[in-house]
Amino acid sequence: MVLVHKNTHIFQHDFRSVSCAFFNRYPNPYSSHVLSIDTLSRRVDTQDGKLYTTRLLKKQGKLPSWTSSLIGRVSDSWIIEYSVIDPKLQKMETYTKNLDHIKILKVEEYTTYYYDSKNRNTVVTSEVKFSSGFHLGIKNKIENWSRSKFDESVKKSRMGMSFVMQKWEEQKSIKLDEETSTI
Amino acid sequence: MGNIMSSSFAPECTELKTKYDDCFNEWYSEKFLKGKSVENECSKEWYAYSTCIDAALVKQGIKPALDEARKEAPFENGASCKVLKKVRTNIDIELGAFIIIK
Repeated sequence: MVLVHKNTHIFQHDFRSVSCAFFNRYPNPYSSHVLSIDTLSRRVDTQDGKLYTTRLLKKQGKLPSWTSSLIGRVSDSWIIEYSVIDPKLQKMETYTKNLDHIKILKVEEYTTYYYDSKNRNTVVTSEVKFSSGFHLGIKNKIENWSRSKFDESVKKSRMGMSFVMQKWEEQKSIKLDEETSTI
Repeated sequence: MGNIMSSSFAPECTELKTKYDDCFNEWYSEKFLKGKSVENECSKEWYAYSTCIDAALVKQGIKPALDEARKEAPFENGASCKVLKKVRTNIDIELGAFIIIK
C-alpha cells in the first residue's frame, strides 16, 4: 500500500536564510519529538561545486495508537537525511527516510527549495510517500492518518524553520541596535 | 521547547558537534554560498566530532540498516536521481494499482 502527498509553500526569505535554517532547524518549539541530529558525511564535489551532506536523526516514535495492537509500542526511530545544495542556482534538494520499523511504515520525503529571484522568495515543494506492508483491512486508517500526519508534520517543519529565521532576524536587529548605540 | 541546544545522539559528542556546527555555519553562509571557498575549512572540528560519532555508532543497533542505506547515496554524482527516479516509478506503478483496486 502506497500513498503520496504533495504540498508547496513559499518562504518570504532568501536562499541563504532558508538553507541555513534547514541545517539548523533543531531545536525549535515545534520539534520536541526530535531527539538528536548528527552529520555523518559532508563534502563539496570538485566537479559540480555542490555541497553533499548526509545526516542522521533520532525521533521519538509517534505511530498512531491503533498500530500498537499490531506491533506493540514503537519507541524511537532513526531517520537518514540526504541533501544537496547548488550554490550557483540557489537550489537545495533533500531526501529523508526512516531506517527502522520499515515493515510497518516507510516514510520517504523528497523536498526541493529554490530561490525565485523575480519574486525574491524561496519556493518549497514537498512530496511524501507512505508505504506499508499492511493491506485492505486498515488501509483507510493508514490513508487518513498519513494524510493528517503529513499536513501536521509539513506545517510543523515550516513553522520550525520560520521560527529559527525569525530568531536570527531579531538577533540581527539587536546587534544593529547595539552597534548604532555604541556609535 | 525540548532541548536547549541541538544534541548528538551520543551525549559525549554534543560538545564536539556544537563546535563543528558553528564552524560549518560560518563557512557555509559567509564563504561557500558567496562562492569564496569550496575547501572544507573545519577539518579539525570535523575530525574530532566524526571520530566521536563513529565510535558511538558502533554501539547502536541501527548501524547495519544505516550502512545499507548509505550505499544508496541518492544525490551522488548524478547517479543521484536514479534512486529517486526508481522511487518515483514505483510510486506511479503502485499508485496505478492502488487506484484500480480502489
